[in-house]
Amino acid sequence: MKNSTKTYLDYNATTPVDERVLEAMIPFFTWSFGNASSKDHIFGWESADAVDVAREQVADLIGATANEIYFTSGATEAINLGLRGFCSANKSEGNHIITCKTEHKAVLETCQSLEESGFDVTYLDVGQNGDVDLTELESSISSETLLVCLMHANNETGVINPVKEIAELCRSKGVPFFSDATQSVGKLPVDVKEIGADMIAFSSHKLYGPKGAGGLYITGENKPTINPLFTGGGQEKGLRPGTLNVPAIVGFGKACEICENELVADAERHIDLRNYIEEKLIELFDVSINGNSKDRLPQTTNVQFRNIDSTHLLRRLRNLAVSRGSACSSATSQPSHVLTAMGLSADEAMSSIRIGLGRFTTHKDVESAIREFEDVIPQLKPVAG
Amino acid sequence: MRESDAILESYDESVKNGLRTILATVVHVKGSSYRAAGARMLVDEYGYMTGAISGGCLEGDALRKALLALEQNRNKLVTYDTSDEDDAVIGAQLGCNGIIQVLFEPVDPANDLNPVELLRRANNKNKTYALASIFNLNKREHQQGTSLLIDETGSITSETNDESLSEAIYDVAVSTIKKRVNHFGEYVSKSGTQHAFIDVIPPPHSLVLVGAGNDSQVLSEMARHLGWSVTVADGRPSHANEKRFSNCQVVVANPESILDDIEINESTAVVLMTHNYNYDLAVLKLLLDFNELTYIGILGPNKKHRRMFRDLRNEGIILNEKHHAKIYAPVGLQVGAETPAEIGLSILSEIQAVLTGSDVKHLREIDGSIHQKDQYQFEKVQL
Repeated sequence: MKNSTKTYLDYNATTPVDERVLEAMIPFFTWSFGNASSKDHIFGWESADAVDVAREQVADLIGATANEIYFTSGATEAINLGLRGFCSANKSEGNHIITCKTEHKAVLETCQSLEESGFDVTYLDVGQNGDVDLTELESSISSETLLVCLMHANNETGVINPVKEIAELCRSKGVPFFSDATQSVGKLPVDVKEIGADMIAFSSHKLYGPKGAGGLYITGENKPTINPLFTGGGQEKGLRPGTLNVPAIVGFGKACEICENELVADAERHIDLRNYIEEKLIELFDVSINGNSKDRLPQTTNVQFRNIDSTHLLRRLRNLAVSRGSACSSATSQPSHVLTAMGLSADEAMSSIRIGLGRFTTHKDVESAIREFEDVIPQLKPVAG
Repeated sequence: MRESDAILESYDESVKNGLRTILATVVHVKGSSYRAAGARMLVDEYGYMTGAISGGCLEGDALRKALLALEQNRNKLVTYDTSDEDDAVIGAQLGCNGIIQVLFEPVDPANDLNPVELLRRANNKNKTYALASIFNLNKREHQQGTSLLIDETGSITSETNDESLSEAIYDVAVSTIKKRVNHFGEYVSKSGTQHAFIDVIPPPHSLVLVGAGNDSQVLSEMARHLGWSVTVADGRPSHANEKRFSNCQVVVANPESILDDIEINESTAVVLMTHNYNYDLAVLKLLLDFNELTYIGILGPNKKHRRMFRDLRNEGIILNEKHHAKIYAPVGLQVGAETPAEIGLSILSEIQAVLTGSDVKHLREIDGSIHQKDQYQFEKVQL
């Protein structure tokens, strides 16, 4: 995907809408604009029908059934609904939540807010590769533990958590397991039944769908009780009231359908491209890969340019869009909480950038990215250290 | 009235009044549901419904889906998942726990092989039929619809132009009819996967009441509610007449000739209840020759039928095992029946169980699906 001469390699932040997705959405902006909750005419029926189809497309991608999918405005809302909604409905059962220091801000900030309302939160440490210690997880679970919340794949490093083992551990302790799978759904084959998670949050715009749609999967087997965050017209079985964003949901569905058909081939191609870019950068510069030795997303790499200030690097990379990590915190110049949790110093974290490949990334894009680094890095002054 | 009769009647009425209609058919059920596959409902363009696809929880949403299919003029497959008790849309408060696939088909009256007309053919004869509804569990794909009718002689009426699929379904249907069990098939070819529900439709239950007393009158009325066709035969015109037995075929004749004008097939049950020993005996003698008959009930105490068997033996007629298997004497189930209506209930319950091949027991004693037609596994058929 090109913006004149610029190359976009920040697919973990967001993805362009696939043209096939856009095509599926367009009628729902214009002539098929009905409210999916309108029961008395064809405009409403058509929209409701389109939402039904989308719900199945989304469910199919993650191995769920359609009635286990709840549409939200995005992953952040799905996470808030899952965490706050569950905790508020089950607070009599316990007041302890377990999560991890490398989670996305949507989880961390929500947990902090729950702490303010009286819940205890354990933030697990990670090893230098970003891996969660399952023994530490197990010993953290107490009779008060209400929920374990651990992401599937990390948004900055692409490091993949052993969610199946985590789910098994949680089940053996009788504690529900919530997973933020925003980065993995659409990039990896995700089967919620195989994983065994009770709730999973994910988003449309990370998988070539539009912004403004997300999903919360809630298992239908021993379905957990969840309170809605707000009240309204009873949409999404009363859990997420509000007029459905039909065009975005239709696009989300179509995007999931395409991912289901193409993700394996995309992933194989991305691994080749990522290996190539990593090998080239290691060959050309003094770099190391953060989280390298763990299972990672096929299209993500987090590269530390030793003694280079990534802020300066990013400003110089005029024809290349890469980032310092989470899109949510990149307005501030704080070192990444994910990388520092992995044991990197503030300087090392500040020397790291994330490269995210995607469906429209070509070998030529990767070549021009490498050329751009070759042009820019010699111009940068090494920082002290 | 039988559901299919009601649907056909409502369809004819709608066509006469220029109203468009949609046929909804339950084509697959996974888990438990109120109605099994093969349940049908006709919806007209005003939303008037005849028949039912559920105990009522799905009909509200089904109505909208039906009207949408009508507006879009194409078949639609809709999934209802009743396992989620929080789902207020379908409000599955019956505690059902099933995934139900419903096929909605707009009916074109100009097409004399439309789904309702195929149903009429399946419904209207003395034969057993297999009615095939072709669908695709991937709803985004074309839903071909109810388009093949095969009878027990192997004769086929086809509304499909996919020959290899049609042939494969035909082969399955022929054996399905023999087994008298519905079939769910997944037909896989190079061009993709299709599904078909083959609904075995036996002739409607028919009840022959030999004897036109007051107890027969009650029984005939109850049987009409079940949609069974009822014939009453007696030698007495004062008893067997249309005034006492409206909506029944009435035969007044000597016992030797009463069966001449009565159609007897595998779905027929005969009850001997003239309260006239010799009349009942004479008819029983004739009935022994009808191999296809599966139910002969004899009203009266044990003493009566033992005497009948003895008198037959004296005439040189020895009853074999097959005869004994189909003779239910004394007629009826033990349900504490005393009044004519209660006795009617006892007799009709027994006939229903026998004609459907069901073991009589409390439902609570049954593990799993309480429906007879519960073999819902899709069988894979390679084209």
